[in-house]
Amino acid sequence: MKGIARSLMTTLSTFSRKPVTRDYPNVHKPLPERDRAFPLLLWDQDIDEPFCTGCHACERACPVECMTVLMKDNPNHKTVGGTSTRRKIIDKFWIDYARCMRCNICVEVCNFDAIAMNNTWTGHEMSVHDRKDLVIDLQGLLAQSRAGAIKEWVPVLGQTNE
Amino acid sequence: MTTSLWGMDINVWANAAIRLQIIVLVMTVVVMGLIWAERRILGRFQQRIGPQKTGPFGLLQSVADAVKLVGKEDLRPKNADPWTFELAPFLVFIPIFMGFVVVPFIAGWNISVLELGLLYFVAISSVNIVGWVMAGWGSDNRYAMIGGLRAAAQSISYELPLVLSLVSVAMFAGTMNLDEMVRQQAAVPYIVWQPMAFAIFFIAALAELNRAPFDIPVGESEVVGGPFVEYSGIRWSMFMLAEYAGLFIMAIIGASVFLGGYIWPFGEELGRGWQLMLISAKAGLIIFVVFWIRASLPRLRIDQLMGYSWKVLLPLVLLQVLVNGLILVNGWSEVILGVTGLAGVVALVTITGRAANRPRSILARPAAVKVEAA
Repeated sequence: MKGIARSLMTTLSTFSRKPVTRDYPNVHKPLPERDRAFPLLLWDQDIDEPFCTGCHACERACPVECMTVLMKDNPNHKTVGGTSTRRKIIDKFWIDYARCMRCNICVEVCNFDAIAMNNTWTGHEMSVHDRKDLVIDLQGLLAQSRAGAIKEWVPVLGQTNE
Repeated sequence: MTTSLWGMDINVWANAAIRLQIIVLVMTVVVMGLIWAERRILGRFQQRIGPQKTGPFGLLQSVADAVKLVGKEDLRPKNADPWTFELAPFLVFIPIFMGFVVVPFIAGWNISVLELGLLYFVAISSVNIVGWVMAGWGSDNRYAMIGGLRAAAQSISYELPLVLSLVSVAMFAGTMNLDEMVRQQAAVPYIVWQPMAFAIFFIAALAELNRAPFDIPVGESEVVGGPFVEYSGIRWSMFMLAEYAGLFIMAIIGASVFLGGYIWPFGEELGRGWQLMLISAKAGLIIFVVFWIRASLPRLRIDQLMGYSWKVLLPLVLLQVLVNGLILVNGWSEVILGVTGLAGVVALVTITGRAANRPRSILARPAAVKVEAA
């Protein structure tokens, strides 16, 4: 009887507690600042161009070879009457998110802090019907940072880590 | 022959038909509500939310389920006995539905006031065992057969304590008219004078309704759903409808006979709406405890189940009937009844506790003993 009474009290105390269920697709739990989804490129808002110079460092370091990088001369460079100090700039960039294993090495090796791991929910909810749709081009990689819809946890160029 | 309905004089049969229609509608809605409530409450007992997507708070979940069940194909196994198989759901459902005839919802709103209402209810509610056994036999499935036989054994065993606990109240009330019984409780509900009868009624009702922890006829882990294994679609949903309608009617009867129905504690002058709310609250309390017990206790073994009925409940309830008779014949005070009833509850709790806590003694099998000796 003690056991029966105790089981009844246990369930009753559970009943009085708040359910642990999260209403996931409607309510997103806040992600930690250093959450690591897929890598994306950052946009230099001051000069209005990507930070990336297309130096291939990330491409060479990538253990799963999911990146393709092409470089070009910067049409906005000071020598040709522009505002930028970047002599070279990224021309084309693809990352195959289906292949990426989110190891963070590309972020580690980048000399310009131009690539970062996405720390928002957009980086997680990426289900598509076709695997090919997971190969993201330059526009797609830059879009989120360009719109300012990314939290900064990697020090962007010009800022210092504390 | 005419009776009054909403102040109009109307033919007796037409009156009964109209009231039955109302009961059908109310019962269907209540059953859907109960299924929803069970899923929500059970969810909270497990720290979940339960259905919440369909309609506000998931209220339309039962409607969605009903639509799905109606749309499903009505399958019948090749070797099943066609008549037995197809008639069984009706035989389970109709007796439960017929029980609603005497249920005193609010003052003057039973379909018919029978002088032997309690007897009628007890008699009619036990008929549905036939349906269970038919479902078990007709399915031509071993699990269904075992489940059906278990249902029969369990229902017959627990019918006795259930009936006798109601009988002890009827002795005290001096009537079997349910409406009259409710009216007698205007001052004090019968649970005060007959607490043990209520405890036994509640336990036996759990078993009659095949609710946990007495759900061995339909235990998924033992007989994969018992007599319902082969049923699908609309016929299966009739079993479910019968189960929850049975829960509803049992809760209303328990609330009426023991908890003072629509009358205690506010008297008969209460408005009809308030009476309805009162009886719903009482029945709701009983139903909540049923859900609570389902969330808490594991299923009993079949020998424990039978032993508990025959060795514990039946002697105690017989004792209660005996004590009732003694006190009523000698005209002793009602207080003695209450005291003896409480003593009975203590005895019930003690015996149940001792049975539940008894250490398991594993008998040495003769073969094992022999090997040891050699």
